[in-house]
Amino acid sequence: MTDRRFFVILFVAVGLLSLLPLGLGVYHLHVMIVSLFYVMMASSWNLLAGYTGQVSFAHAAFAGIGAYTSGILAAKFGLNPWIGVFIGTILAALIGLGMGILCLRMGGIYLSLTTLGFSEILRIVITNEYEITRGTMGLQVPGLVADYSKPAYFYIMLGGAMLTLIVLYKLIYSDIGLNFRAVQNDERAAASLGVDVVRMRVLAFTVSSALAGMAGGLYGHYLLLITPEIPSLDQQFLVLSMTVIGGMGSFLGPIIGAISLEIFSEYIRAYGEYHVLVFGLVALVVARFAPNGLMGLAEHRLRGRRKASRTVSAAAG
Amino acid sequence: MTLLEGRGLSKRFGGVTALDQVSFSVEEGTIVALIGPNGAGKTTLFNLVAGALKPDAGQILFAGEEITGLTANVTCRRGLARTFQVTRPFATMTCLENVAVAVVNSPRSRANGTWRLSAHECLKAVGLGDLAHIEARHLNVVQKKRLEIARALATRPKLLMLDEVLGGLNTQEIGQAVDFIRSLRDEHHLTVFWIEHVMGAIMQAAEKIIVLDQGRRLMEGSPEEVVKDSRVIQAYLGD
Repeated sequence: MTDRRFFVILFVAVGLLSLLPLGLGVYHLHVMIVSLFYVMMASSWNLLAGYTGQVSFAHAAFAGIGAYTSGILAAKFGLNPWIGVFIGTILAALIGLGMGILCLRMGGIYLSLTTLGFSEILRIVITNEYEITRGTMGLQVPGLVADYSKPAYFYIMLGGAMLTLIVLYKLIYSDIGLNFRAVQNDERAAASLGVDVVRMRVLAFTVSSALAGMAGGLYGHYLLLITPEIPSLDQQFLVLSMTVIGGMGSFLGPIIGAISLEIFSEYIRAYGEYHVLVFGLVALVVARFAPNGLMGLAEHRLRGRRKASRTVSAAAG
Repeated sequence: MTLLEGRGLSKRFGGVTALDQVSFSVEEGTIVALIGPNGAGKTTLFNLVAGALKPDAGQILFAGEEITGLTANVTCRRGLARTFQVTRPFATMTCLENVAVAVVNSPRSRANGTWRLSAHECLKAVGLGDLAHIEARHLNVVQKKRLEIARALATRPKLLMLDEVLGGLNTQEIGQAVDFIRSLRDEHHLTVFWIEHVMGAIMQAAEKIIVLDQGRRLMEGSPEEVVKDSRVIQAYLGD
């Protein structure tokens, strides 16, 4: 994809999406806002898992760091939420950097286990530090705009998603992105060609954490009530399924996965607890029949059709 | 002038001594072959020099500076490129992208700008120009070996370390490959350090041969000296 084509597609898509508040009711707009949060989460997690091969389970935890940092600063110290979101993003990046330096040399399953542990520790601390976080009761926080309105939040989240995607695109389709993919394919070969493997992994982890922190901060100020639900493993696995079902390692995959799964989960919400079961089934079916996700399936179809038409024209000629 | 020098290099893996106090030198602008029976420690020596492994003892000097224990990415930036015996292509990336990784990380290539062009040139040099946009996983073994060489060249090295690049080639192709490696040395002022089992090619191309056996340096000399040496014959054929 060329730079120009990406920006044209992005701005057309954003332009079309920004018409949505004109036609959608409050409920549907809410679903779209949540979808945009997951677009940010899944896309930034994809940078780690899909482009550098690091399966981190702390992505929701970093969203939690962003949300609680901004929320606590606003609720306890009266700081402007926008500045809070900014600080939350920076803090998520710094903690991501620290964790990266500490554990990215491990790689593989050890990284996954460490991030899993980190995520649980954070959740337990937030749940128990009642004085500061108000535990499972949730922390009431002010909104990002003076007069609460769904369309306003929709545009804010759309802006956040756009910013996230531009950052990711610029990174993935740069020399650094090339290095990321080399590291994912074969670390030793990458190192032998001059790639600083540890530095690349730490960089991806830091950027991804920062983007999760921003997503969490914006989302928290939309919900107005921040609970340990945001940094929970449930949330983490939802982001993971969205990325995997959409197509890990493809730029569009997580975007499509996030929007379609969020909308889908609203439809099956009526089935109560069973909706988790349905989710699992969908993930299973995708894993069995489309291991590269929906994007992989689409690509395969497209290529198959092209090949078929070529065969036909060759036969005709 | 000596470009690469090893002094008393040793490496143990658990109880096995893979290399035992090996010293050697590679002179600038020459083609030096490293030979020896299986398990002699040739690839281990390469791994020590290229920074993939750290030696237990000894020193490595490259272009007059000590590089002992530096990591692979640092030695690469200093001008030392290597290929792998079992090829390690970036499978899901195109051939051009494979080579581009080397280009964007090379301080010497970057100065020239326009990396796509030089990545293309490296692919063309090894005869993969037409496959630039094919993912590396679709290549056959011989093409993968060529891709390894293209990537190594794209780092703009001073020293090119080749680890058995002739495996799987027929007699005619071996002749072409030898000519190609010689031309690289002549046109790009490279020094070549080369592990190879195909003796015919070594005899044609190498100016000096270093023979390893069971982790020790058996001898070092011109191809004529090596083939006449009774110790070498013994190491290969037994008593």
